[in-house]
Amino acid sequence: MRLIWKLLRKHISIFELAVFFVANLIGMAVILAGVQIYNDFSPMLSGEKSLIGNDYMIISRPVERVGVNAPKFTAEDIEELSEEAWVEDLGVFSASQFRVDGSIVFNGRRLSTMMFFEAVPDNFVDVDTEDWHFSPGDDIIPIVLPRNYLNLYNFGFSQTQDLPKITEDMIKRVELGLRIKGNGYSDDYKGYVVGFSDRLNTILVPMSFMEWANGYYSNETNNEATRLILEVQNPSAPEVVSFMEEHGYVAEDKPSESSKALFMLQVCVAVIVGIGAIFSLLSIIILTLSIYLLLQKNINKLENLVLVGYKPMYVAMPYILMTVILNVSIMVISIVAAALVQNVYMDYLGKLFGVTLESSPMASIVAGVILTVVVTLFNFYIIYRKIAQISRKRC
Amino acid sequence: MNEIKLKGVVPEIFASRNDLVSDIWNTDVVIERGKTYLIEAASGTGKSSMCSYLYGQRGDYRGTILFDNEDVSTFSINRWCDIRQQNISILFQDLRLFGELTALENVEIKNRITHHRSLEQIKAWFDELGISDKLDARIDRMSYGQQQRVALIRALCQPYDFILLDEPISHLDDRNSDIMRDIILREAKASGAAVIATSIGKHMNIEYDKILRL
Repeated sequence: MRLIWKLLRKHISIFELAVFFVANLIGMAVILAGVQIYNDFSPMLSGEKSLIGNDYMIISRPVERVGVNAPKFTAEDIEELSEEAWVEDLGVFSASQFRVDGSIVFNGRRLSTMMFFEAVPDNFVDVDTEDWHFSPGDDIIPIVLPRNYLNLYNFGFSQTQDLPKITEDMIKRVELGLRIKGNGYSDDYKGYVVGFSDRLNTILVPMSFMEWANGYYSNETNNEATRLILEVQNPSAPEVVSFMEEHGYVAEDKPSESSKALFMLQVCVAVIVGIGAIFSLLSIIILTLSIYLLLQKNINKLENLVLVGYKPMYVAMPYILMTVILNVSIMVISIVAAALVQNVYMDYLGKLFGVTLESSPMASIVAGVILTVVVTLFNFYIIYRKIAQISRKRC
Repeated sequence: MNEIKLKGVVPEIFASRNDLVSDIWNTDVVIERGKTYLIEAASGTGKSSMCSYLYGQRGDYRGTILFDNEDVSTFSINRWCDIRQQNISILFQDLRLFGELTALENVEIKNRITHHRSLEQIKAWFDELGISDKLDARIDRMSYGQQQRVALIRALCQPYDFILLDEPISHLDDRNSDIMRDIILREAKASGAAVIATSIGKHMNIEYDKILRL
């Protein structure tokens, strides 16, 4: 191989290889950073760990006059809604129809307040915990609070009153005394906060508890829905907006923000990856031309080597090894670059949302390996094909 | 490999000619292992073409060439490379040496794929052919006659059943021609190979088994 390399290294243009190296390095680093950004941001916008919101809408009818019962959704309304194609899933908010008194012991003093509960089907609850269950006979009721209650306290109230900040874990350890009365019964339960919701702006208990308790502590059967939760693909789709206007329903959240943000993210990432792809493509064209030129300049030597008895694969090997070394170096540097970019934006996001975000560079590693394998196989193909052509040119 | 058969072979460029008088083109010829052949030809009668066809370097002919009854037109490039390492050796008319390598490296480049000869043997040939002082000289700094001798040593660095010598002594004086002839006959005899030499006039002084005119 030493003699072959001595022969074939002639005419290798360091300048052309350097241009390829730099261009492909930029291209691949940009592509990998884009893939990494998409991989890190997209679940925040669309998945279970939504930071901004997601594609759920909570809808109600507007309250028109004071003193009138809250307007409700009839069974027909719900039927009509669930038949709409854009409604992926629909859940009814169920409100407590019994009296709840909650109390906590704080600094030796007992503080109590009247409360209410609501429940939605479990698949709409964005808290993933094993404690989210209730069976009749249990004396513990799991509760989910809206995360913005806690934020309101931590960033608003405690700030102005010089009170200590409360973490989620601290709240989860507090036992809440609950006395539930109705239908001639009065029982004491223990309540524990098991999680915080970004989606549901109410005090939530499991649907299993609500159904049992409404039957046990209340005689009222007229439990009509005042609020509905809808899972939709895109809350800002024209058919959704026009349906809401037609029926006079109002959405409580602004869930369309998340789908707009997701769309913007997709556009930005597409642009980034597109620019990276153009760089990479151009660099691959440079390398291809450079290899063709190199093979052309060395064509007599290549032909003579094959005539001496060297197989085309053996003759191609020095050039193939050269591209493998180039491509693998580019891959390693690009993955490191993408990981550095990831650290920067993860730090920033962490500070912005006040949470520690878990991140792994796996997406860019996988994308880098796939790209490198594809580019190297392509290089291999053009080198081998050209040398095989030279070997057979007169046969 | 024991025999090479040419059945009605003619270069495409001669195919339309009716006035072709030849012992090889457009007829059937058998070249057998262990014998010596001289192919005499005037310039431009397709002598180097014939070597190229037998070495798998070119395929622009009509008719059929058979190696032990196997049609060579079906051989892949890798099969040809195996034949070039094991069965047929060649001394090209244009030598096909690598200008930027030394004389010894030009020989080693062949010997490294075949591992057929020891360094001592190679050096002994250099010595015998009177170029032992050129072992480490770049080949493109050597005279054509010296290069011709290096190319012969390279051709001997492999096992072979047939050795093709395309005008092997065109640039050698009589003394060196005789040395070369002795080495070729000695080595060919040792491996039981056929010697096929071409000439446009000057040829090695051998009792050829067969002289064919192109």
